Amino acid sequence: MSKSTLCVSAVALSLMLGLAPADAAELKIGAEIPLSGNLARVGSAMNEGIQVAAEMFNKKNGKHTVKVLVVDDESSPAKAVGAVEKLAADGVIAYTGGYGSNIIGPASEAAEKLGKVYITSGGVASELTKRGLKTFFRINSSEGYARALMGMFSEVGIKSVAVVYSTKEATEEVAKMLQTGLGAKGVKVTMHAFDPATNDFKPIVHKIKLQDRPEAIAMIGYENDYVGILRAAKVLKPDIKTIAGVWSLATSKMAAEFPDLMENVSGTSTLSYPAVFTTPEAKEFAETYQKMFNKAPDYLGIFGYVQSKLLFDAVARAADAGTIDKGGVASELRKTKTESVIGKVSFDEAGDNPEFTHRMGQHQAGKVELVWPLEAATGKMKYPALPW
Amino acid sequence: MIDLVAQSLFSGVLSGAYYALIALGLALVFGTMRVINLAHGELVLLGAYISYTAEEKLGLDPLASLPLALTLVVATAMAVYYLISLIKTDRELNSLILTFGIGVILTNAVLMIWSADIHSTTTPWYHDATILFDTLFAMQAELVFAALGIVLVGAVWWWLEKSWYGRALRAVASNRDAAKLMGVNPQLTEVLSFAVSGLLATVAGVAIYTAKVIQPSLGHHLTVKAFIITVLAGMGSVPGVLLGAVLLGVVESLTVTLASSALQELAGMVLFLVVLLLMPSGLFGRAKRRG
Repeated sequence: MSKSTLCVSAVALSLMLGLAPADAAELKIGAEIPLSGNLARVGSAMNEGIQVAAEMFNKKNGKHTVKVLVVDDESSPAKAVGAVEKLAADGVIAYTGGYGSNIIGPASEAAEKLGKVYITSGGVASELTKRGLKTFFRINSSEGYARALMGMFSEVGIKSVAVVYSTKEATEEVAKMLQTGLGAKGVKVTMHAFDPATNDFKPIVHKIKLQDRPEAIAMIGYENDYVGILRAAKVLKPDIKTIAGVWSLATSKMAAEFPDLMENVSGTSTLSYPAVFTTPEAKEFAETYQKMFNKAPDYLGIFGYVQSKLLFDAVARAADAGTIDKGGVASELRKTKTESVIGKVSFDEAGDNPEFTHRMGQHQAGKVELVWPLEAATGKMKYPALPW
Repeated sequence: MIDLVAQSLFSGVLSGAYYALIALGLALVFGTMRVINLAHGELVLLGAYISYTAEEKLGLDPLASLPLALTLVVATAMAVYYLISLIKTDRELNSLILTFGIGVILTNAVLMIWSADIHSTTTPWYHDATILFDTLFAMQAELVFAALGIVLVGAVWWWLEKSWYGRALRAVASNRDAAKLMGVNPQLTEVLSFAVSGLLATVAGVAIYTAKVIQPSLGHHLTVKAFIITVLAGMGSVPGVLLGAVLLGVVESLTVTLASSALQELAGMVLFLVVLLLMPSGLFGRAKRRG
């Protein structure tokens, strides 16, 4: 064999090895997520983050690729269990997704029975991590939302708060945490539960105005609830100093859709808007998201991305170690200790992320400025300040 | 406390008028054709989304979008009627299944076309406050559509009671064959009933888009609410729809003020059960004759 033939053969062989490594694998991951029903919006946004995570993983990881199989759980607990089982039959290794604690509960139990990891950011009820499941993980929790809201109220020295909350599991839990946490600090707290079907909040806000007379209103609900409460408050104009809420409130979407209601309203937020991405990973995420969906990412997309990225990395490590079928994915996730786009992430024995603390953003002139904690702030908190 | 209760009653009446607007179309079809259109809420929703698109893309005020919304919703209502008319046996039961299926298809179509985001009008005037007697507060949109609801209930009542077509509609509902012998075209009157129902759904949709928040999964809730009011009212009773709707609105509102908002849906269902227990034919329904 001549030298040149040997060289060509060697290059060809190396190329072939490079293109198809002996132990490379396509790793199937299931995404059980609401794409229709009343959680369709949040589910779709989270799914976008999952797709971005897959795209970035496949681009970067030279050895493995992930294939995400998506099944719509139709915002229904029973359908979510069916989705988990269907995905298992399709050969997925683990699950990412899920929205709503009442849906994630049965879905993650089905995953546990199948011995597969289930990771989410869509259910914050503390009950989820008290079930002793070995395969359940989440990157956020109720405490992180409640801590942020209480932190903001403490910073401005609020003495009394009226908490208006939906009777859904996660919202009720955050509301009770606020009641306990603020009460312990000597803040007077009044509680107003509302049915998720409520669409006229004037009677509640009127009670707050005439009976409670608080310095602040805390809204623990979802987008449509916030709009209803803020409209009622704008009509009745209670004598308060600030109004704040939790998820889905301090977002670009709310700023664009309801500019007349949002000014000076605060809510939990991972990012300012327009978002400022500082780390290389966050910048790459934002660029990929923009390229794939032709829009800037929102917080749901970011959570979907982070949970999926951590899962893909853990699955890849387990695949390298040959432990996928021996509980290796859960073990690898438990070893996770990383600085992510949403802050520090690690998992305790229950699968919770004890490091999670949210930030507070405030709508200011069509933008969302991070106003708490001070070290993450991109703007100064306006206080006292109201949307009317 | 008096201020609280007065505001609560006022809010309840406004909510009632808005509920009546949603329920009227369902009650009309139920009363005249004995068909429970389980896709009615989705027709209302379609009207709301067309109003949203007209405002977003054409810059039209929600009320100005009514003709466009009316055309599309009535056309859809006609398509629903056409499908129902294909049912040859056991129409009351089979139409339930059919319209439920149509409702699911419409919800998913709305989701695919408009995505799952929430929307509401961006015209601030509708959300400005109106204060009556220094103590009663409402949004302008609530007052506009409550008034429109009452006017439409009156108009539908007058149309059914006084006009030839209204009488023909009632004749077909009462005895299809006898009506035919009197020269009434049953199919035409049923088409008319569905067309008017589509018109009412459109106005209700525009009202919801203006005063509340819309999202694709809302249709089902609207149908349930409309159905409760229709049964409360008594089959075929138009004034009963208004009374039933206001009663429901006031009970829900007072429950929020005097107890808790968490109990308002429960209170509405208790009212529904109590009325059915004491007046099985509804508030204005005719009791069945014996023998």
